[in-house]
Amino acid sequence: MDKLVAQYSRPPHQNEMYSEQEQQDLTASVPPLSLKFSLPPVDNRSAFLRAMTDDHSNPSCPIKLAHGTTTLAFRFQGGIIVCTDSRATAGNWIASQTVKKVIPVSRLSRGEDKKTNEPTPGLLGTMAGGAADCQYWLRYLSQQCTLHEIRHKRRITVAAASKILANLTYAYKGYGLSMGTMLAGMTPQEGPALYYIDSDGTRLPGNLFCVGSGQTFAYGVLDAEYKYELTEEEALNLGRRAILAAMHRDAYSGGFINLYHVKEEGWVHHGFDDMNPIFWDTKLQKGEFSNVTSAL
Amino acid sequence: MYGVLERLGLRRSKLQLFFGRKKSAKRRLTQQVADLTGAPGVKLTARPSSLNHYSHSSSLIIYLLVFLFSISCNATCKEVLLGIAGKDFVILAASKAAMRGPTVLKAEDDKTRQLNKHTLMAFSGESGDTVQFAEYIQANAALYSMRNDTELSPSAVANFVRGELARSLRSRSPYTVNLLLGGIDPVTEKPHLYWVDYLASLAPLPYAAHGYAQYYCLSILDKHHHPDCSLEEGLALLTLCTDELKRRLPIDYKGMLVKVVTKDGVREIPVDNDKVVRSA
Amino acid sequence: MSGYDRALSVFSPDGHVFQVEYAMEAVKRGTCAVGVKGKDIVVLGCEKRSALKLQDTRITPSKIALVDEHACLAFAGLNADARILIDKARLEAQSHRLTVEDPASIEYITKYIAGVQQRYTQSGGVRPFGISTLVVGFDKNDSTPRLYQTEPSGIYSAWKANAIGRSSKTVREFLERNHQDDMDREQTIQLTIKSLLEVVQTGAKNIEVAIMAPGKTLEMLPDDQIESYVKTIETEKQEEAAKKKTRAGTTTAAILTRPGGGESTD
Repeated sequence: MDKLVAQYSRPPHQNEMYSEQEQQDLTASVPPLSLKFSLPPVDNRSAFLRAMTDDHSNPSCPIKLAHGTTTLAFRFQGGIIVCTDSRATAGNWIASQTVKKVIPVSRLSRGEDKKTNEPTPGLLGTMAGGAADCQYWLRYLSQQCTLHEIRHKRRITVAAASKILANLTYAYKGYGLSMGTMLAGMTPQEGPALYYIDSDGTRLPGNLFCVGSGQTFAYGVLDAEYKYELTEEEALNLGRRAILAAMHRDAYSGGFINLYHVKEEGWVHHGFDDMNPIFWDTKLQKGEFSNVTSAL
Repeated sequence: MYGVLERLGLRRSKLQLFFGRKKSAKRRLTQQVADLTGAPGVKLTARPSSLNHYSHSSSLIIYLLVFLFSISCNATCKEVLLGIAGKDFVILAASKAAMRGPTVLKAEDDKTRQLNKHTLMAFSGESGDTVQFAEYIQANAALYSMRNDTELSPSAVANFVRGELARSLRSRSPYTVNLLLGGIDPVTEKPHLYWVDYLASLAPLPYAAHGYAQYYCLSILDKHHHPDCSLEEGLALLTLCTDELKRRLPIDYKGMLVKVVTKDGVREIPVDNDKVVRSA
Repeated sequence: MSGYDRALSVFSPDGHVFQVEYAMEAVKRGTCAVGVKGKDIVVLGCEKRSALKLQDTRITPSKIALVDEHACLAFAGLNADARILIDKARLEAQSHRLTVEDPASIEYITKYIAGVQQRYTQSGGVRPFGISTLVVGFDKNDSTPRLYQTEPSGIYSAWKANAIGRSSKTVREFLERNHQDDMDREQTIQLTIKSLLEVVQTGAKNIEVAIMAPGKTLEMLPDDQIESYVKTIETEKQEEAAKKKTRAGTTTAAILTRPGGGESTD
């Protein structure tokens, strides 16, 4: 009865007003990106994910995530060096030796996919942790950066781009995302900028970061010889050598050395080179890695 | 226009995913500020007296809880936060190391945010949560100043922060953040220091600490602190504390970042972090 | 068949949305606001509504509002509508800071404001904002002054100098004659006040001036300074008039008189 009364006693114009949300939905020029994923029908999803994927406590777990990496990036007077290995592992299995772990972000600035030796404007992101997570979210970030560029008529700053990613990872904190990313770029507003973002939601600006299972090995080499005043040549060599050290010692890193240099005009690729000749070169020419010998 | 997800209070969007609730995070900010501004004087000035009372009694119990927790949560406790209030100033000091697992990711990290001209907040806790929470509070404080052409007093900010933390504590994903809040009341020019822990208990104190620093420094401060001390005495007192931490704490927290709030605003105090302290 | 002159979301047969045009009419009745860009400065000037005797002018809200540390806005039209719009802009500015760390660019803020205004011309059950705004400021790490205008319809546009509100046409024409690029601080402030004096008869006490410079926040020009500017401008004017008079005496040229204060409402 009350219901009946309510039905008829409603003022006739009540439905004329739209709620703010409805208005926004109705008239927003850009629909928000849909970020709704289907989730497993369990109570504690992150625990479920851990149980399904954690190969340390459960070697026979059904999903083996691609983990294990070494990536590094550092700022110096001539810009930023970004260097990674190329191995993808799933448990103890090497899934690939030719992964491109440096991902250019912001497509618009990149222009068409041209093949030149000219520096390409835009940001660089590195991937460590879950390969799928990194690829997916860096792609998403790329979208956002492009949209930002179109809306604001200027390239996105590294600070802004890193914050978008950090906000995102923070929103999904506890869902089992696994990523440790560095974003490097140079913009007129901020100069060379380097940020570390991970799946905890941490976001740190800094001069030097190493991320991944081989980070400790890379830190060791890098910290010993790093200074801001390095020349371009020295910086490239140091980046390459630090990754080589990690590839040599860390079982989950290896393959090819992928080296980038970010300068004012954009980034330049300095090769995707097999680690083995470089390793033997380093050993035989420079006499390093003296523990690798049959004489002992 | 940015999508809802990248909006403020991203935790809200997480909830959205859990419950499929349609509530934009932006509205959350409006809501809060509406809470703040809705009944201006009433809500803000009425709160301190009543709530301080409540938090005082509860903080003792929570102290014990913190003690128990601290044994398990060592990541948080490796960070050092110190606060000292004196005659006309408040010193806040925070360790400079940003740690994750076995590595120090950054040795020059700034664990403080300025909320308005006369209020500074130092934070430690779960990575991600800390900065996200601090900047959320910072934005709300800025919005309040802009809208009302006036600053919130330190006590108002402290109680707002406590309220936010308490609200998040009862949500699916609470902020795990410990805070020290220091400020000078722009009207009375009196210093205020607040201790807030992640269980949202608030205590106004003459000196305060978070993490392992509590165990060493509070006894020192108990002995040497007096409320009328000058800035020089305050800084000397801080050195006493940091020296002890260097002497006894087995962690290298990469030195302290020291900031002081006076009636002229917030400024950083250069300190010598390279001093070697030998144990007796 | 009727109602297109009342309902918002209905076109008139010849393609007008009358409610939006009425809103523009409300803007024309609002007090005048002027924005002028200099070399590395941008100045906003406003005509203050003349206060009643018992009104407390010190704490009556101003027509110039800070949107963020680096951006501010002056409006002409319905005060109450402006309050809502400014509040939305402030929220967006803080929200932008929080999501991408950098402060929003002036164009972004303008676009947002214009976007809100546009939204209120296309939804049912709402009324358009009866205000135009002038948004000024500097982007982060940039010393290019910015000046934008938004209108009730949601149009936004960039200007070197512009006026909105009552007699804005007179003021705009004055600005068109007198604006130069590369004006310094003094010249920019002077031009702003001079152009306002074209339509504000009551002089200094009914003018407010705000100045934005790169890397700094809003600076409101103190009343005594405005007064001294007004005085120098008036003496200049008198001297000029006197000169003309003497010249007119000798050469019998046409006497140049300024068109009065335009159509004066309140």
